[in-house]
Amino acid sequence: MDIRLMRPSDIPQVQQTNITNLPENYFVKYYMYHALSWPQLSYVAVDVGRAVLVVLFSFNKTLQVSRPKKTPYDAPKVVGYVLAKMEEDPADGVQHGHITSLSVMRTHRRLGLAEKLMRQSQRAMFETYNAVYVSLHVRVSNIAALALYRDTLGFKVGGIEAKYYADGEDAYSMRMDLDYLREEALDAEDADGEGTVGQDEGGEVGSAGKTAEGSDAAKKKEKKRKVKVGRQLGVGELVERNESSHQAQANGTS
Amino acid sequence: MAGKPAQLPSKEASLFRHLVQNYESKQYKKGLKAAEQILKKHPTHGDTQAMKALILSNQSKHDEAFELCKLALKNAMKSNVCWHVYGLLWRQIKNYEEAMKAYKFALKLDPDSIQIQRDLAHLQVQVRDYQGFVQTRRTMLQAKPQVRQNWTALGVALHMSGDLSGAENVLQKYEETLKSTPPKSDIEHMEAVLYKNSIVAEDGDVSRALEHLESVYKMALDRTAVMEMKADYLLRLGRNEEAETAYRALLARNAERRDYYEALEKALGLDRTNSEDQQKLLEMFQSYAEKSERLDAARRLPLDFLEGDIFREHADKYLRRMFRKGVPSTFANLKQLYSDPAKKETLRELAESLLSEEPQTNGGAETGEANGSIDGTHKPARLDAKTTWQISINYYLAQHYDYYLSRDLAKAQQYIDKAISLNPSDTDYTYHMTRARIFKHLGAVDKASQAMNEAREMDLRDRYINTKGAKYQLRNNEHENATSTMGLFTRKEAVGGPLGDLVDMQCVWFITEDGESYLRQGKFSLALKRFKTVYDIFETWTDDQFDFHSFSLRKGMVRAYVDMIRWEDRLREHPFFSRAALSAIKIYLMLHDRPQLAQQSQMDGTNGENAAERKKAAKKARKEAEKAEAEKKAKVAKQSQPKADEEGSTKKEDPDPNGYELMKTEKPLEEAMKFLTPLLELSPKNIDGQIAGFEVYIRRKKYLPAVKCLLAIQQLEPDHPKCHEQGIRFRLALDSLSEPLPPKVKEVIDSSYLSQTSSKSLEECNEEHLETHQSSASHVQSVARLRSILKPGDEATKSKGAKDLQGTLSLDGIILEQAVDGLNLLNEIEAGSEAREAYLQAAQKRWTEATVFKAP
Repeated sequence: MDIRLMRPSDIPQVQQTNITNLPENYFVKYYMYHALSWPQLSYVAVDVGRAVLVVLFSFNKTLQVSRPKKTPYDAPKVVGYVLAKMEEDPADGVQHGHITSLSVMRTHRRLGLAEKLMRQSQRAMFETYNAVYVSLHVRVSNIAALALYRDTLGFKVGGIEAKYYADGEDAYSMRMDLDYLREEALDAEDADGEGTVGQDEGGEVGSAGKTAEGSDAAKKKEKKRKVKVGRQLGVGELVERNESSHQAQANGTS
Repeated sequence: MAGKPAQLPSKEASLFRHLVQNYESKQYKKGLKAAEQILKKHPTHGDTQAMKALILSNQSKHDEAFELCKLALKNAMKSNVCWHVYGLLWRQIKNYEEAMKAYKFALKLDPDSIQIQRDLAHLQVQVRDYQGFVQTRRTMLQAKPQVRQNWTALGVALHMSGDLSGAENVLQKYEETLKSTPPKSDIEHMEAVLYKNSIVAEDGDVSRALEHLESVYKMALDRTAVMEMKADYLLRLGRNEEAETAYRALLARNAERRDYYEALEKALGLDRTNSEDQQKLLEMFQSYAEKSERLDAARRLPLDFLEGDIFREHADKYLRRMFRKGVPSTFANLKQLYSDPAKKETLRELAESLLSEEPQTNGGAETGEANGSIDGTHKPARLDAKTTWQISINYYLAQHYDYYLSRDLAKAQQYIDKAISLNPSDTDYTYHMTRARIFKHLGAVDKASQAMNEAREMDLRDRYINTKGAKYQLRNNEHENATSTMGLFTRKEAVGGPLGDLVDMQCVWFITEDGESYLRQGKFSLALKRFKTVYDIFETWTDDQFDFHSFSLRKGMVRAYVDMIRWEDRLREHPFFSRAALSAIKIYLMLHDRPQLAQQSQMDGTNGENAAERKKAAKKARKEAEKAEAEKKAKVAKQSQPKADEEGSTKKEDPDPNGYELMKTEKPLEEAMKFLTPLLELSPKNIDGQIAGFEVYIRRKKYLPAVKCLLAIQQLEPDHPKCHEQGIRFRLALDSLSEPLPPKVKEVIDSSYLSQTSSKSLEECNEEHLETHQSSASHVQSVARLRSILKPGDEATKSKGAKDLQGTLSLDGIILEQAVDGLNLLNEIEAGSEAREAYLQAAQKRWTEATVFKAP
């Protein structure tokens, strides 16, 4: 299992994984919107048993192949993904990331994939966009996902949003501070002196947040509106709108 | 829309401005009202007519819009507004060529219009007219060099057109125009800088790219990207020590990335195939494995290159760890090794011997962790270590014996039944799912569907198992069940029910499986309808990029944008497309060969095998039609007040839900080309695409492309049965031409293909082929098919064919799918019902469970 950045070419596969696992689904264009707005934040877990074959098969037939390949064009087998974004207009004025959707195939559980995907995404949120925390929503009935976010990843329940989902279910609103990444970054800097990791200029935090979004300032602000769960009607004219409606999904479960 | 309202008095001029504003803010009703007011007094005012047409077009009233716009053009031939609108109307209906022509005309009238230039540029990149794109973007930059976007846009245009140094130049010049270096937090700027850097590397100047990268390294906020770029450059430059450091730094961030390990090996000068290096490699991987208990890659990768006893030792360790943890994907993770027969055996031996051991419990069994149960109503059952161990191993062995390289389905069933009996959870359906899968491999699609449904019912809130359940129902041709199963998770209020929603949500797998199921049953119109739907979804995905041409430049994420463009260029090489395309082509070929299918399929949806069946089916079809009609009426009633979405358009009902109109095509081969062209262009190494290509071209009497496909097949797989079959058919077609080929065509065909064929008669070649390929069912089938083509209607040929096909059923290597092909071929060569019966009996004996050979 490989953990790597989601590329545009992964999107059909990611979209299929999503609609296979979860009830909240999106058009391909909405995945493109994520990949083209915050290309650093979304990750996939890929079953490389197949993906690597493409290379092996075409260059050296004697190397191992797991099944007779029908064509050299087989798509990477995406067994998990995290689709993530930055909150465009944070109500609290604090830069933060948001998990739009996360799922792992039932057949690939207990490998810690969800956690590994999340960790990569969180770091990118912190490094690239100076995110202070990351937020998500989870169905109150989804104990497994709740356990993952709370116990394994260190999220905290911030509150309950009544009737958040279209079917009337409530959502836990959860968030996790990304301070630990700042400390890690400082440690890394001390360790190798390279200063390669993270925001090394603490003073810039505020302005960084602003400027990062500066290019969007001209865009129309849309009213917060609640979209029916999972029915993101495309990206329309690609005017960013409040994304409170894109629920974080439970891990491989629904 | 910026246009000078020509010669309007001030009141109307102001109305016109309102009209433009109304259009831009999508207040179409108001806009139309304003237009009417102007037109009342100035009925021939072209610009107003054009604006009105534009609004109509946005309300999907395309015909009316075009009519009005043409009138507008008549009235105001020289109005750039009219021409611009004309272009926009064409764009609306996705005729990009015409749209570009109109824009260009508008630009001639108003060369400085930024809006028209921008619209033109978007179309040029959409249709990949890069020369035009560069030109437009250059003009735009010259007009407004103070806008950063204009520089990046020209950079992208030059890059895409292949002018890498030109692109670098433009991006460089922009940086030079800046008075001070933008702050680190200026993400857009850093993106442009990294983009420039990637272009330098792409141009092959890696050392300059590295030098430049180092100068901006600390500034870049996309850490993963710059670290990867740097590591890659160092390795390519042979600066191995530094590359090692760079890759170790990347692995410290993400140790589950194969590419990093492979690059690190290169940097260390280690070679997996060299036995001396293997020890060092092992140490390297172990050093990573020790860092984290949760890490898989460093434990799994050495199994790829280790062999013999040392492989056994490490495979043993790996299996024990996974079984102790109860990781269900253990087999999926290891099956890649099965192409090595020795490893396959070792893994089986290890698993079987571990079964009789007790698990070591140091470290504790890590079961029931985070992503345990789905069902929120109760917690995942915490299994004791011994049960986890036992279930895991039985599950592993069940999958082992189910796998095509180590298949023994009876054993697989024993192991899965054991795993199921040990499983204390009534919601964990994992093992039941594999039980269903084994039935599928036995050919028992009915039992498989039933078993998967049982698994589904164990956890009704889990969409994954719901998806599997529906898929297995489709494999068993249970459309209604499958649709209602899917309906448990689709939007209740969706137009067209669950299927409508799945189409809406671009659920390609379901649509394709549904189509294939109809195809198996000979319900061609519905099958074709599904494959066409997949085609349309890909069209949508192509169109989806349109908005990003402007959006990405605004956002400034240029590297991601370029990635997207390159992906879109190859969008239809995706197996989702190929699979649907191959099936669609199959139907179009049948339509060409048997045009009566169009009526038949409308009548009864079957192949029309006998009158009674046809009558029955006709009745059923009538009932279905009545039902559909009733549903339609109900729907219309419900929609009497159609809900308009924001854009003011309503979701249109499909005028051809059953695909009858698709089947009525007069030119099935031309329709087939729509699917075939992307297939041949983007997946030329897909042998099935080439085979389909031959079938289409030979029917269109396009001998050159046909021979091109033949040659491609020959190159991809010289021993493929179609290579022989289509080769003979090609020669037969050339032998029976009504008029000779043009000399040039003949020359190419002779020299590229015919020169290498035998001079013997086609019959002789065919029989010779049989002699050398008797042990392969597919080859025998090809020979039989050719015989009946060479001597159509000949009784001796039929009985010989029947006998040979019957013979294939006792071949060692024959698989179920081939046996089904043989059965279909018996019909094709008209071998008669007796031969069919005999074949079915023999097939039943060999595949006792297979649904397909059982009497209906």
